[in-house]
Amino acid sequence: MSRREVRQRAKELAAKYGYLAYMIERYLVLWGEEETIQFLEACEKTPRTSIRVNTLKADEQSTVRRLEEKGVLLEPIEGVPSGYWADFGDRTPGSLLEYMLGLYYIQSMPSMVVTLMLDPQPDEIVMDMAAAPGGKTTHIAQLMENRGLVIAVEQDRLRIASLESNVYRCGVSCAMVFRGDARKISQMGIAPDRILLDAPCSGEGLLPVDPTRKTSKSMADIRFCATREDELLDAAVRVLKPGGVLVYSTCSIAPEEGEYIVDEVIRRHPDITVVPPDVSLGVEGYTAPYGVEMNPSLRHARRFLPHVHGTEGFFICKLQKEGDDQ
Amino acid sequence: MTQAEFLNPVDWELIVSQVDADFGNGVTRRLSEGLTPVKVPRRSIFSVYLVPEEWVQYIRGEMEDFRLSSLGVWMGDLSSDTFRLSIAIVERLANISENELVVADTGAQAFTYGRSILRESVVSISPESLRRGQRVIVKSEEGDCLGLAALSVDASRIDRLSSDKLVAKNLVDVGWYLRRLG
Ligand SMILES: C[S@@+](CC[C@H](N)C(=O)[O-])C[C@H]1O[C@@H](n2cnc3c(N)ncnc32)[C@H](O)[C@@H]1O
Repeated sequence: MSRREVRQRAKELAAKYGYLAYMIERYLVLWGEEETIQFLEACEKTPRTSIRVNTLKADEQSTVRRLEEKGVLLEPIEGVPSGYWADFGDRTPGSLLEYMLGLYYIQSMPSMVVTLMLDPQPDEIVMDMAAAPGGKTTHIAQLMENRGLVIAVEQDRLRIASLESNVYRCGVSCAMVFRGDARKISQMGIAPDRILLDAPCSGEGLLPVDPTRKTSKSMADIRFCATREDELLDAAVRVLKPGGVLVYSTCSIAPEEGEYIVDEVIRRHPDITVVPPDVSLGVEGYTAPYGVEMNPSLRHARRFLPHVHGTEGFFICKLQKEGDDQ
Repeated sequence: MTQAEFLNPVDWELIVSQVDADFGNGVTRRLSEGLTPVKVPRRSIFSVYLVPEEWVQYIRGEMEDFRLSSLGVWMGDLSSDTFRLSIAIVERLANISENELVVADTGAQAFTYGRSILRESVVSISPESLRRGQRVIVKSEEGDCLGLAALSVDASRIDRLSSDKLVAKNLVDVGWYLRRLG
């Protein structure tokens, strides 16, 4: 398609699906027309609810049994330990006593994969740089069996309240919660074994759950987010311990907030590389989005796409710093 | 790091005396075994946390741009002369103390909405020596810890109450987690 044709077609699709035209223009260049329509159609459907059973509070089987006795239909998510597709029927997933007791966390499948890719180990020091409301903080603590230290950083005071509520509810005892701007984490003087940066983003992957996103963000908003993501990732790379692992993720499908950010940071920091994850869920990251050549290692990143996986959109990339990883 | 401090012995003694008076001698010591109590100032109170001793190094440093908000196990909140146990400590407490009030299903649900406990929903209360004003762990019939309540009557007198009479006042319950989320 020529530029003019792209523009014209984008206008038509934008009107049909209720989007801002600039978004569709980007999808057409990125994916072509057929895949763009598949994407737009998929974003009209709400993804299935999923939960992570919290093994810090009870053993998995007993929680599964309790929920099933209450009529919740559960199906294990392949490749995601403790993850289940969950059908709560008429009930709100967060209204059950089992939820208040911290027996499970309502979490999207790609969000669970983020923490699995981080692969935190008991007794490590792990930093979660953008932590609220705590879905991944509590998952990290679960994988660490509450041993070691999780440093959870969050800038927003109100969101700290929900982060702490979830930390307490899930029985996490290995976390320290700090309020502050994670771009300044070098001040802490800590070199974590692992860092998760689940960055604040434009949320372009959340279209299936938040239709207002079709018109709420401009290209300038995406650029604003990208600048902040770059600064946050840069700060993470600097403090990570040599040999340490860093996972960068966003709930955005925009390459401007995914591959572009990582490509730029690995260019600036030759001591950091994209590494293949142990997880095979999702599809490969893009190495030439919009025709812009990226470092080929970006194929090791994982993407979740509404039209391929039936989930919200996500970008996840595992990085490692050179050095002794003992 | 910033704004967390070790608890001074006077404050700790106050906590020990109040918790032990309710839940039995030595309970606070067992609750905090191997852990160090620290306090984080809030607007007019202090929140008290129990943390591993190795974390002391992180509590001492000074940082301009980060404020420590919480850490380890939230034990409760301390005002000038009162200590209130938190919802986050109740399960640990239940492993140590035997003070418990078991409520039937409907009472359990009402309790998680912040309501107090009436005679009609009490399944059992133990030990019988519990006195009016004393704190108890509230459990469901399945053994789930639902929160804490303060008895309005001596446990030994409960059988004399009519079904609509108040037995225990809700102090904190697991519904707090949802209410806190907003
Ligand atoms: C995508 S959300 C994190 C979700 C979280 N990881 C989870 O799984 O529940 C991003 C968070 O980053 C916070 N944030 C934004 N800018 C920040 C900054 N400079 N430093 C720390 N946190 C920040 C936002 O307030 C928001 O809560």
